[in-house]
Amino acid sequence: MNPKAMIIKKITKRTLGLILTMFILSVGVFYLARLAPGDPLQSFYGDAVESMTTQELDAARIRLGLDGPIYAQYTKWIGNASQGDFGLSLKYKTPTLDVVSPLIGNTLILGGTAYILVFVLATLLALFCAMNEDSLFDRIICKVGTAAYYIPPFWLGVVLVLIFSINLHWLPSSGAYDIGKSGDILNRIRHMILPLIVMILSHLWYYAYMIRNKLLDEVRKDYVLLAKSKGCTKTEIVFKHCFRNVAPTIVSIMAISIPHVLSGTYIAESVFNYPGIGALSVQSAKYHDYNLLMLVVLITGLLVISSSIIAQSINEVIDPRMKLTEVSAWREKTASSSS
Amino acid sequence: MIQPVLQLKNLSVSFDTPNGEIEAVRDVSLSLNKGEILAVVGESGCGKTVMSQSVLKLLPKTSRIKQGRIIVDGNDITDYKEKQMRKLRGSVLSMVFQDPMTTLNPTIPIGKQITESIIKHNKISKELARKRALEMLDLVGIDNPLHMFSLQPHFFSGGMRQRCVLAIALTANPKVLFTDEATTALDVTVQAKILDLLLDIRNKTGISIVFISHDLGVVARIADRVAVMYAGKIVEIGTVEEIFYDPRHPYVWGLMSALPYLTKEEGNLTCIPGMPPVMLDPPPGDAFAVRNEFALAIDYEKMPPMFQISPTHSAATWLLDERAPNITSPLSLKRMAVS
Repeated sequence: MNPKAMIIKKITKRTLGLILTMFILSVGVFYLARLAPGDPLQSFYGDAVESMTTQELDAARIRLGLDGPIYAQYTKWIGNASQGDFGLSLKYKTPTLDVVSPLIGNTLILGGTAYILVFVLATLLALFCAMNEDSLFDRIICKVGTAAYYIPPFWLGVVLVLIFSINLHWLPSSGAYDIGKSGDILNRIRHMILPLIVMILSHLWYYAYMIRNKLLDEVRKDYVLLAKSKGCTKTEIVFKHCFRNVAPTIVSIMAISIPHVLSGTYIAESVFNYPGIGALSVQSAKYHDYNLLMLVVLITGLLVISSSIIAQSINEVIDPRMKLTEVSAWREKTASSSS
Repeated sequence: MIQPVLQLKNLSVSFDTPNGEIEAVRDVSLSLNKGEILAVVGESGCGKTVMSQSVLKLLPKTSRIKQGRIIVDGNDITDYKEKQMRKLRGSVLSMVFQDPMTTLNPTIPIGKQITESIIKHNKISKELARKRALEMLDLVGIDNPLHMFSLQPHFFSGGMRQRCVLAIALTANPKVLFTDEATTALDVTVQAKILDLLLDIRNKTGISIVFISHDLGVVARIADRVAVMYAGKIVEIGTVEEIFYDPRHPYVWGLMSALPYLTKEEGNLTCIPGMPPVMLDPPPGDAFAVRNEFALAIDYEKMPPMFQISPTHSAATWLLDERAPNITSPLSLKRMAVS
């Protein structure tokens, strides 16, 4: 088979997988949300719901598409969703897309920055620890890192707010930016510092330790002995030889970690009242805002699944042993040249 | 008098372990002339590898040179620090390891692994280094080096990889090459080709080789001189003819009679009874005494000195003392019976 056809086949396969996973996810969340106890009309009408008559309530249910068996509701929902209509948010009483779209940016900025910082710092820390394995520095970092990792993020958030916002007045305690300053980058950064500290401290060591141990496995391999007997320095061996072999693992870890870091973002958003999808997803579940919940879940799911697909593709570029097409192409080439 | 390229004087290497000190190499003295191939043979764990790695200082931090001197090319390198050793590794001392499947870095193209070593030791341009690397690949008998240059090790067979490792080890024109069981992991035909290659390179470049092996057949084919090690000590050293046709140490008798004769049908293969000692607490006398059917009382009490048999041949056994009873080697009896 020629490589081009194989690539097309691979892409179709992965896209179909993505669609199927999203479908299963939507069915699961749709059922679970409706099976959970609570009344969505409560969030739509507020306390007024208690003074409404049964006829009025039934009429409202029909109007909001909350009547009938769940599978019927689902068919209706997916029919609308496939045309880009994700329904009305029961709490905000506007189309869900309008509620979510201004907040996606906030979450992506916070989550993305945290994600990049976590992995850059984790890799640097791991390289440093692996270079100085078992030195006093390495041991101190290991202990401090483990302790920092086990600090609960919500508690740490509250403590940081207490210190830096309430006592020292250095940093704002909540929000993504001051009112009317959404375009001011410095203002945004000031608001992001505390959430970022919480997220980095609660993720950093987990990944740094993984990468450190991976590097130490590599350092004990035979090729390191050969590199050493060539006259390479320790730095060259760790950075040039070992890191190259660990890089695919780091990319895989990064891909797998997206849900982990994303959930961390959600926690940080709730603690710091940061307007993002994370805070929104908690709210929508709390208020039985079914349509909003579905949209938030679908966006999160899409982010997680597509990132793992991208990671797989990057891995194939870094380590060609993971790629089948190149080997077969090479075989064809040598077979034709030898005959 | 010609100065030897490598001289070990009473070298002892120990490992510090939680259970105590392991004396891996004990009081080893030998010298290696230019263009000479010295084979070091012995059972697993007898200290062959530790001896060679201690010369390149590749051993882990738990090891230390307890006593003795290492003299390379007239310079005493015993107290050399890491930085000075780095200059020697590859350019003066070089090493080929046992398993070619793991000694090459799996993600770096072969060509780059060779040029790295060239650029390290000669200040030349990348283009020249590339040319030199291609020459090296050609020298070690890789077909179509231009094509193979940019391929990762997984495209190569075991024999080809060992050729590449040899190319890496030889690029900077070292004076002494250690081959640590370099042919053990290869099948016999590939092994024969690598041996021919080593002899060929020796004849072309005048390199000295320390050939570590436990395969006596291979040793007979390649070596000029043979050193037999047991329990960290050299028990007998001499030219190939002397060791194979006139061995004096009972251990070497045992080794030689363990070789099968293909010309005559034999019953079971002869073997040396017992196991080599654990070097945690070596016996005060000859370590081989407990397995030696010709052991004298003094063997258990006092370490035998090296007895000179001819200018090139010496052995450490009390049997060579003038007071010892005259024992005919069982080997010569056996050989007589065979012929």
